[in-house]
Amino acid sequence: MVNLTPAQAKERKIPFQALNKDQAALIDHLGDAIVPGAKKVGLSHYIDHQLSAKHADNLLILRYLRVNPPFDGFYASSLTAFERAVTRKYNKNPSELTESEMTDFITIMMQKNPEGWNDAPPAPFFYFVLRSDAIDVTYGTMAAFDSLDIPYMAHIDPTQTWENIP
Amino acid sequence: MSAFAEKTDVVIVGSGAAGSLMAAKLSKAGKKVIILEAGPERTLNDLISSQINARRLKWSGEPVQEKGAQPIGNVFNSGYGTGGSALHHYGVWPRLHTEDFNVKSLHGRSLDWPITYDDLRPYYDKIQQEVGISGDKASEIWRPEGDDYPLPPVPIFQQSEIIAKGFKNLGKRTSPLPLALNSRDYKGRPGCLWDGWCDAGCPTKALVNPLALYLPEAKKMGARVIHDATATRILTDNSGKKAVGVKYHTKEGIEVTQMADLVILAAFAVQNPRLLLNSADGGLANRSGLVGSYIMSHAAATVFGLFDQETEPYMGATGGQLLNQDSYDHKDQRDSGFGSYQWMIAQAVKPNDLLGFGGSNPALFGKKLTEFMKRAAQHFGGMTGCVEDLPLRENRVTLSADKDKFGMALASVAHTAHADSLALWQAAKAEGVEIFKAADAVQVWNGPLGPMHIMGGTIMGDDGEKSVTNSYGQCHDIDNLFIAGSGLFPTSGGVNPTFTVHALSLRSSEYIVKNWSSLT
Repeated sequence: MVNLTPAQAKERKIPFQALNKDQAALIDHLGDAIVPGAKKVGLSHYIDHQLSAKHADNLLILRYLRVNPPFDGFYASSLTAFERAVTRKYNKNPSELTESEMTDFITIMMQKNPEGWNDAPPAPFFYFVLRSDAIDVTYGTMAAFDSLDIPYMAHIDPTQTWENIP
Repeated sequence: MSAFAEKTDVVIVGSGAAGSLMAAKLSKAGKKVIILEAGPERTLNDLISSQINARRLKWSGEPVQEKGAQPIGNVFNSGYGTGGSALHHYGVWPRLHTEDFNVKSLHGRSLDWPITYDDLRPYYDKIQQEVGISGDKASEIWRPEGDDYPLPPVPIFQQSEIIAKGFKNLGKRTSPLPLALNSRDYKGRPGCLWDGWCDAGCPTKALVNPLALYLPEAKKMGARVIHDATATRILTDNSGKKAVGVKYHTKEGIEVTQMADLVILAAFAVQNPRLLLNSADGGLANRSGLVGSYIMSHAAATVFGLFDQETEPYMGATGGQLLNQDSYDHKDQRDSGFGSYQWMIAQAVKPNDLLGFGGSNPALFGKKLTEFMKRAAQHFGGMTGCVEDLPLRENRVTLSADKDKFGMALASVAHTAHADSLALWQAAKAEGVEIFKAADAVQVWNGPLGPMHIMGGTIMGDDGEKSVTNSYGQCHDIDNLFIAGSGLFPTSGGVNPTFTVHALSLRSSEYIVKNWSSLT
């Protein structure tokens, strides 16, 4: 077994287990627009890895937010709603949105359900969850602390646990 | 498949703050003690410094269904595995105030405790000597009578100094926050390094979690902890007036009958009533009909700001560095609402997680978020108001129609805060903003209402028709069945509950030892 960080897993194109490729691409695209840098550090691989784990080992922030497991459906339905609502508004795929269009769309979804957003958790809630996931993977690592000039001061170094994807 | 375990003197359900302390004291008194812990075994080596790993310590047992306008946040506020929620608690240990014990007598509303502050004071004093609280009694002018803290106060970092000026400029006072966290070496446990990893569990034992003190003591005296053991039923004799043991399921699916002379439920405020309600038609020890009622959760009033000065927001303890209780006593003299609150000032924060500075302002995204993260890493400040939650009978744990894998009904918890508690929370938030402005914050904002701590559900009282247990946690209906922990609280006060949980558990332990013959 070789342990990889989400960024390494992304770089080596490790196959997804819980997400399909389209879902992973949507997560990376939207997540990176909300938290710049999230795609590069492997947001979709991080979420995929956590969704693949048994509940006790699933460390997604969603477990704090009164959503009972399994969590796969939460992401799947939200991503479908996201894609549908973007298409309804712009007649484009999410990947085709300009930076300005994506900013406008996120501004709407953080406040209310955009038109076409249905059969899914509320858009503002999904925004909050994905934003938190993206902050976790982008800013929750020792390297990220270092980049913010924050001393990590670990008692027990975390590199052998959540960051590792076998 | 089923099995019978050898009978023991005491079986305790739950290995958290209350369970581990009572196991230590009863073992020391010569009792054979078995602790049933629903979650997995955890050791100090599992307490990894990461806000993401920290989530592993939180509740991941059977789902709890939450309802109401202000749900209690069971997963975040509960623990799972050795040490329960105390394994990830922040060690903020103020005492309840005298007024908290007789709110109904004084104000004609809320509830009374069956004891006074004076009854509990010796136990607060004993516990703080055993554990080692850091603080400064002289400057903590709001504190009720009691011994001096055994350890000097925790150090003050820049974030505290900056925010304290805001309090001072408005004529308000601050003192060191009393923390069950060593400001220097104490009884073989080291001083804290002020790294702010309390939420992830403290592996150095500077913060007194159950793995640092009471569980090792209990084990040394012969107590045994059985992990992955989910209690499903309290067993009674044919009369229903005497507890004879507990049924539990192992991870492998074996149903074990553990007979015992005395049973203690220390599985926290939600799972204790769930177990009682599942143990008999209409609930065990439920003459009052109040098993599950009066669930409370403090409303967290969060205030955040950015300052021109560098604040070192990563330094210190997760619970904070300074305290203000100017709005605590005289619960009826608030400008708005009713009750007490305190400020815990200058919490050490990390970039990520619910309590991280990245989550403090969810409206920020894209480039603005990137700029904010860089600035906040060095210039962020925060404080949290712990706002009293008035007890309401309709805020309660009931049984869901849904069942777990053992056929046990899940817990459903409804919680909607009293209008006066919400008004007090609003007033606290507004005061916090004024304080930060007076500290020259260049930006100030509030967070949404967050539930903090869980209390009630099996309240104590003198009257068996109006409460579940007496002041020792002894069930009114079953002499040898005890309940321990914050579920006993009839009122929440506006302080963190863990010190009081320890004091009550010590008092109950001494009562059990003294009255063992008549109880069993």
